[in-house]
Amino acid sequence: MNYPSLFYQLLPEAVLVITALVLLGVAVTRESKTGKPISSGLAATIAVMGVVFAGVALGFAPRDVDSGSYLISLDPMALMSKGMVLGLGLLAMLLPPAHKEIANPGEFFALMLFALTGLVLTVGSNHLLFLFVALELASLSLYLLAGFSRTARSAEASLKYFLFGAVSAAFTLFGLSFLYGFSHSDTLQGVASAVAANPTSTLGMVGLLMVLVGLGFKLAAAPFHYWAPDVYQGAPLTSVTLIAGASKVVGMVLLIRFLMIGFPAAAGSANLGQMAAGWSMWLAILAAVSMVFGNILALAQKSVRRLLAYSAVANTGYLLVGMSAHGAASSGAALFYVVVYALATLGALAVTAAVEREHGDDSVSSFAGLVHRSPLLAVSLLICMTSLAGIPPLAGFAGKFILFGSALSDSSALTEGMPGLSWLVGLAVVMSAISLYYYLSVLKQAFVLGEEKAEEGEFPLSLGHTLAVLLPAVALVVLGLFPSLLLDPIKSAVLDTLGITLGLR
Amino acid sequence: MNPAWTLISAFAGALLVLLLPARMAGQSRVIALIASVVGALAAAVSCLARLKDTAAPVWSFDSPWIPSFGIRFHLAADGLALSLLMLTGVVAISGVLFSWNVSKRPRAFFAYFLTIIGGVYGVFMSRDAFLLFVCYEIVILPKYMLIAIWGSTNREYGAMKLTMYSIGGSALILVGLVVAYAAAGGTSFDIVHLAAADYSPALQNWAFPILFLGFAVLAGMWPFHTWAPTGHVAAPTAASMLLAGVVMKLGAFGALCVAMPIFPQGFATWQPVIAALAVVGIVYGAFTALSQKDLKFVIGYSSVSHMGFVLLGLAAATHWGLRGAVLQMISHGVIAGLLFGIAGRVVYERTHTRDLGELGQFDLWRSLPGAALAFTLATAASMGLPGFSGFVAEISVVIGVWESYPWLLPLVGLGIIITGAFSLRAMYRAFFPVRDKEQAAAAPSLDPLTWPEISAMVLLLLVSLSIGIYPKPWVTLVDDGLNSPLFQSILSLP
Repeated sequence: MNYPSLFYQLLPEAVLVITALVLLGVAVTRESKTGKPISSGLAATIAVMGVVFAGVALGFAPRDVDSGSYLISLDPMALMSKGMVLGLGLLAMLLPPAHKEIANPGEFFALMLFALTGLVLTVGSNHLLFLFVALELASLSLYLLAGFSRTARSAEASLKYFLFGAVSAAFTLFGLSFLYGFSHSDTLQGVASAVAANPTSTLGMVGLLMVLVGLGFKLAAAPFHYWAPDVYQGAPLTSVTLIAGASKVVGMVLLIRFLMIGFPAAAGSANLGQMAAGWSMWLAILAAVSMVFGNILALAQKSVRRLLAYSAVANTGYLLVGMSAHGAASSGAALFYVVVYALATLGALAVTAAVEREHGDDSVSSFAGLVHRSPLLAVSLLICMTSLAGIPPLAGFAGKFILFGSALSDSSALTEGMPGLSWLVGLAVVMSAISLYYYLSVLKQAFVLGEEKAEEGEFPLSLGHTLAVLLPAVALVVLGLFPSLLLDPIKSAVLDTLGITLGLR
Repeated sequence: MNPAWTLISAFAGALLVLLLPARMAGQSRVIALIASVVGALAAAVSCLARLKDTAAPVWSFDSPWIPSFGIRFHLAADGLALSLLMLTGVVAISGVLFSWNVSKRPRAFFAYFLTIIGGVYGVFMSRDAFLLFVCYEIVILPKYMLIAIWGSTNREYGAMKLTMYSIGGSALILVGLVVAYAAAGGTSFDIVHLAAADYSPALQNWAFPILFLGFAVLAGMWPFHTWAPTGHVAAPTAASMLLAGVVMKLGAFGALCVAMPIFPQGFATWQPVIAALAVVGIVYGAFTALSQKDLKFVIGYSSVSHMGFVLLGLAAATHWGLRGAVLQMISHGVIAGLLFGIAGRVVYERTHTRDLGELGQFDLWRSLPGAALAFTLATAASMGLPGFSGFVAEISVVIGVWESYPWLLPLVGLGIIITGAFSLRAMYRAFFPVRDKEQAAAAPSLDPLTWPEISAMVLLLLVSLSIGIYPKPWVTLVDDGLNSPLFQSILSLP
């Protein structure tokens, strides 16, 4: 093991860890000097700078595929995902936590940084155990972050998240041990060659199924989503933005890596009339259940946080539609869509945070008259929610269109006149149409009702909060008009990576 | 001035209105008017240029947009598109004029209004299915906002119902388009490319109804029309004009220029069903209009009936039928705009009722003779009397039906008769009540017509009359579009 080269390969992660330690040090010295904990603004500034530096470090990281090692993979998809996870982590840290919720901002932001470190490590890990350790670093930090505010709800959220998470982590680890036993290898490439030699092995399939349970939990796919509504509702919103954004993207990257690198030979088919056992079919079922469950339950929500949690379940369903087509192009489209989804959810959560701090709760009716009080918040909410509903010219529309389009063309039955995946895509599109109803019910409050609120005056917003609201909205508009800006890099990174490991190139 | 100015003027106008400082909010109507006039002028200039030389290459703009997915920003305007752009321009101008007195949040109102106009222009010019769908969907949210914020009767319900129907239709369209894309090899969204691909008959038979139904929902096809009357009634005047005048045409346009050319064999299979539903729509809409009490509901159901003619023309699938369908789109766009303008703005905002019984006490033909005259002429046009656009359009559709489904003609005739009945009934009860002298003397006096109202009514009437009296330029434009290779697969069906 060559430590300097390992350090060089993990430069962004190292920067994050060092920043977290510096932050803790500053927090302790400050507190011992002044007797008061470090201010939230200072802690956030240090953390944000750390993430920015980590991003710069990522720019200097080796991008030569061969420089990756047994433990770490530096393929284009890993680097691309690291960049996106850092970006979403940055957006999460811009949203200031509510003062009354967070007693010790130094520890809070240090944990955010540790969680982010874990997430960034996870997407770049090649070794099954290393991957598990990185994932647990992220998960443990996220459990703590979910319970950071001293309310009963937050404690409940944290406990639920932890219990579900621990069980699913156990599943994942058990599944990984099956995979090791099956392939006698501890890297995905080794698993891939064993699967290619014996695609229908029960041992391998059971291992994969267990890993998928763990990933389903991370992605909040129904029926592994039960933690999501409570965590979204109870946890501090800054933690929720990390869970909803960066963590979800990581879950998606892991899914792509496991399925497309490790198990391409065991995909089977979910095509109508050509069904064949394999993960493609499992994912299609998960996708259908998630879309129906998430969208129908979201219709009944009165709390915007819970609404966004069920929308997260529904959106996982759309992502799984893309994955069940088991193609490189649809994997790229799914990765693009998850980033776009994360941006929109982050923006919506940031607006919810502002409304909640003004009104004391996050019920749909507390959004009444938002446009009269803060056009900035209202318009950002409009952009984020309509992007989630898939209305053009926003990125969510382009993302869904491209996701469903490439899912159909990757399932490659239509050119032969078979219906292929159109049953699943049809369901996804119809469910997505239904979702407009609940997004619109929030927008109705913000734009149509509550004209009498105009006198109540502007919302007070800090700089960080303004950025946390504004940046996702701007990104959604820009990516909606020019999706190629992000789609092309993602697509070529995914194609390159899958091409190399699948031996296509 | 090329046709792109229609699109640019609408979206630039919307942006400009939004950026106006609050103290100048009252000026937003001026900006909206200028933007609409520029758009209409661009359309008119392009129409004239096209009429002068239909052999010239069609104006187009083509640039890569999302290259990795085969999506291009491809606009083009042949005669068919130009005639619909012209309709949109006219309806836009009169819509702004009929909204001249909007004082509640005028900036947002005109921004939404112009966004709808821009989206409609975009749909008519798109030659890439993705771009077309983007423009088609841009319209949805502003429609909701216009109705929910500025609407009247049951506005939140009407707005939500209309929006859910629209998005439901869009969902079907999206499925149909991605199926066509994938089945054509997954390389391009160009409509001509998609239409040229070779799909298996089985695929065409299940994919066509999905795509067609998606568009037909917005065109008000029976039994998916129920959003239209409630939406039209709930909407503020300008929005009813846009909805009935141009937005319903988007559905018919999509059915004609996207669904039918892409899956011609699927269309051939479903042709009789579409024809039957269209005829049911004509008769059902007319009968329902006959029993309505609310003037706007009468016009709303008459729209369903008139759009039935469009769908019937499409289902006939002969040259006469398609031409009639497009002419009926234009004609109905103008007439519905006029009827909704008079009922919603001129009458309702003075009398605060649209109930046919209560309107009688205002003696409108005495107190608002101009409005009564305009409504009479519009009724005549709507009934399809010679000299108005409705006649030209309906006679073309009828000839088309004669060629394809002659046995449907008795039902069409019945629809036309009932149309006359409900139009006259509504006109007499609202404007020409039978009253004795004492009752007439007691009629409250109403504000006289304003200039914006008069100019909007005159504009729309002139367009309808010009089509009715001298249809040749419009027919030339429409035929120019129908002669394109895109429609050959439909016209050559047995």
